[in-house]
Amino acid sequence: MSTLSEGLEYFARFGVDDVLIRAALSRALSRGGDFAELYFEHRVAHDVGLEDGAVNRAFLHVSLGVGVRVISGDQTGYAYTEDLESTSVCEAAATAAVIAAGAAREVTVAFAVGSRPDRYPVRRAFDEVGLAEKMPILSLIDARARSADARVIKVRVSYADSDGAFLLADSEGRLAFDRQPMARLAVGCTAEQNGRRETNHHNFAGRAGFEFFTARRMEEAADEAVRRTLFLFDATVGPAGEMPVVLAAGSSGILLHEAIGHGMEADFNRKGVSVYSDKLGKVIARPDITIVDDGTRQNCRGAINIDDEGNEGQRTVLVKDGVLETYMHDRISAKHYGVAPTGNGRRESFRDPPLPRMRNTYMMPGPVPPEDIIKSVQRGIYAETFTNGQVMIGAGDFTFYIKTGFLIEDGKLTRPIKDTNIIGNGPQCLERVDLVGNDFAFDEGGWTCGKDGQSVPVSLGMPTVRVSAITVGGVNAE
Amino acid sequence: MKATDTLLERAHAAAAFAKKLGADEARVSVSKSRGVDIEYRDGKLEKVQERSRRGLSIELFVDGRYAAMSTNDLRTEAVERFTADALAMTRLLEPDPFRCLPEPQRYLGRADIDLDAFDPSQARVTGEQRLELAATLEARVRELSADLNVVSITTGVSDDAGSGARIHTNGFEGAREGTHFSRSASVTVKEADGRRPVGSAYTGRRHQADLGSLETIAQDAVARARAQLGAGKLQTGRYTLVVDRRSVPRLLGAFLAPLSGGALQQKRSLWEGKLGARIASKLLTLRDDPHRVRGMGSALWDGDGFATHPRLLLEDGVLCTYLIDDYYARKMGVIPTGGSTHNLAWGLGTKDQAALIADVGEGVFIERFLGGNSNETTGEISVGCAGRIIRGGRLEEPVSEVNLAGHFGQLWEALVAVGNDPDPNSSASSPTCVFEGVQLSGV
Repeated sequence: MSTLSEGLEYFARFGVDDVLIRAALSRALSRGGDFAELYFEHRVAHDVGLEDGAVNRAFLHVSLGVGVRVISGDQTGYAYTEDLESTSVCEAAATAAVIAAGAAREVTVAFAVGSRPDRYPVRRAFDEVGLAEKMPILSLIDARARSADARVIKVRVSYADSDGAFLLADSEGRLAFDRQPMARLAVGCTAEQNGRRETNHHNFAGRAGFEFFTARRMEEAADEAVRRTLFLFDATVGPAGEMPVVLAAGSSGILLHEAIGHGMEADFNRKGVSVYSDKLGKVIARPDITIVDDGTRQNCRGAINIDDEGNEGQRTVLVKDGVLETYMHDRISAKHYGVAPTGNGRRESFRDPPLPRMRNTYMMPGPVPPEDIIKSVQRGIYAETFTNGQVMIGAGDFTFYIKTGFLIEDGKLTRPIKDTNIIGNGPQCLERVDLVGNDFAFDEGGWTCGKDGQSVPVSLGMPTVRVSAITVGGVNAE
Repeated sequence: MKATDTLLERAHAAAAFAKKLGADEARVSVSKSRGVDIEYRDGKLEKVQERSRRGLSIELFVDGRYAAMSTNDLRTEAVERFTADALAMTRLLEPDPFRCLPEPQRYLGRADIDLDAFDPSQARVTGEQRLELAATLEARVRELSADLNVVSITTGVSDDAGSGARIHTNGFEGAREGTHFSRSASVTVKEADGRRPVGSAYTGRRHQADLGSLETIAQDAVARARAQLGAGKLQTGRYTLVVDRRSVPRLLGAFLAPLSGGALQQKRSLWEGKLGARIASKLLTLRDDPHRVRGMGSALWDGDGFATHPRLLLEDGVLCTYLIDDYYARKMGVIPTGGSTHNLAWGLGTKDQAALIADVGEGVFIERFLGGNSNETTGEISVGCAGRIIRGGRLEEPVSEVNLAGHFGQLWEALVAVGNDPDPNSSASSPTCVFEGVQLSGV
């Protein structure tokens, strides 16, 4: 699939060649250091927006640059430049080199390209599709949402596509190249009923070309945005206090992402600041729980052929039958722990050094029919859709915000609820996952994960599960 | 020649090119910045990161249609090609009669004040100095936390200098330069049950000389770690809250968001029809102070190029203005009020945090918020938090895994005291705030 020339050919238009790469890597190791790496990136993105019935705004964003990283032990020097002239790249390399203090090393290796899978084949590349073809997508969604219900008073649609390419060259002779497309569709809806108003959203994203925007996705984007908005008229804020929570299959994978995923990123453990720092090989969940972070799922938003250090994006089993098997690693942490990289070294752009990051995080299905899980709860809540979450890695406190759900009373879904945050302690919450459903769903939402000021696209998946007790941040009657 | 002259020239050239291609009007911004961050951990340098950014963005107004382009690839042929691409997109779009440059008289009346946003000493900061600052701070944190079971201490030192220029083809021109310095420390402490709470502190200013002292940061970080040890859970109920000044912006941001023109025009604002009405406690008086010398958010013009003026947002709880930018004002058929705030100035109380805690007697001190969200159409808010029990007017045992919920309008109605201690490290300048009868969830 990948040839030596593919990446160099792509970046040749910016004056990048073998001579520049060698010169910059040598400069990066001019004060010694164990390792140096250049990460060239080019990204072209389009956003198109509809508001008040008209597709009347479009944005083109172009980003180009190279990041230079020098590693000396656990220490990192990083600099970037947005000018790919050889002198500028070498200057950035000299800046990154300050982390080391030793004798200069010449980079003389022969570059070789590793294998690269093809997890996001593109049928129609975005640079072949003009705005005129994109505009009807927004208009159709708008028309469908408006005609769905007379209570709908405002519809906003946003279309986004992005085509990123990166070329990585390191002092060990690795040359890696990937093109990472992204398609995203978001619909916002405001409705009015008896003088009361509500707003809600729905979105889809995937690593794919223009073929992502299918009729089915367009219809569902409109229908779901309307359904989720109208749902709120019948809903009230959930109750307050500790109680059982049933998480619906799909986007409730946000629980894994926040409650335990971040704590399993190896950099936090290397520094000893994660609540999972001394839990490797230990039982951290019930034996029917297996949790995976997976970069391999075709066209999934969190899929990566290779990570931003050139390692193949893999399927990494984090928790197997309740036991913590491995952390998620980047180069520095893999070396620190003496293990193979897991393909989790990701970065927002050439401006940032890579960090261990999640890809597509999910729990494998278990044995229990989902209806039995709901039936098992006397009084609690059923959480269906979510907007955001956050965690404090060390203390383990995490939150996620429920946009829609239901109260469960005597084993039945009753009153609709909305706008209720959940707070818990990650490891404790995982221990309290005591029923795992035999259903399973991946979520196709456009989730973005933030860490150290860097945002990367991720995905989630989950069967229906029950958490036996967790704090629900609603309101009780006075 | 000033550094910003080159940027202005570049902006004019890009606008002239856009007009040559057929744009009726254009708005161009050009920016450039350079900065260094270092991270020092457990006795050695962990990371040095240099950032040098630049960018050009151009908004095009053609035949009543609108599109925009931004790039950091500033080669002339590249900028010209992207501008041509964006212009071609513009012609395909549906018209938007409300998209145009502001009336030029809105640009007039720019205050003649030196905001003193640029500290020339930034150019003289050396790598050795940054390293020494970070190492000194780390050593002091280690000293102060000697009795704790410390797992890791990280300190950070960073400085940046940036400049920007903007022009509108109907007469606006502006250029500015600024610097920013910061120092931070965080200490992670291990507890017997495996939890590892972190105490962190920060100072950030436009001028190096104005920064908080290393001693203050070290003490603050260690005190915040110490305060979390042995955190238990809180009984679900309604409490009087004393919210730390550093955390007040989380509650204020939710409250102010629905004042925007976008929220109002899109009919998703809780505050529609509330201009002149009381929407918060009489104790809430907020002024926007865009001309604060060395202020973090200071600016002589806003995002539309309007000359900025100090103004009241809320007086004694009464809403004095919305935040409506030029575009949404045209859509709504109203006079624009300016879409942004810069530095907030509060109507302050007379007491410091300790005195407010003593006055409250029984309640909960909220040290920090975590995650959560709010609904700007209806006002619900639900957000995670942690802090300490207040008993007998003193801070007692820590609590975590707590959640605050309610309606942000009612929350600000329930504001019963404001401190005299505005946070100097943030443009929100929040003092400590006290709220009564707030729902907290725990066990």
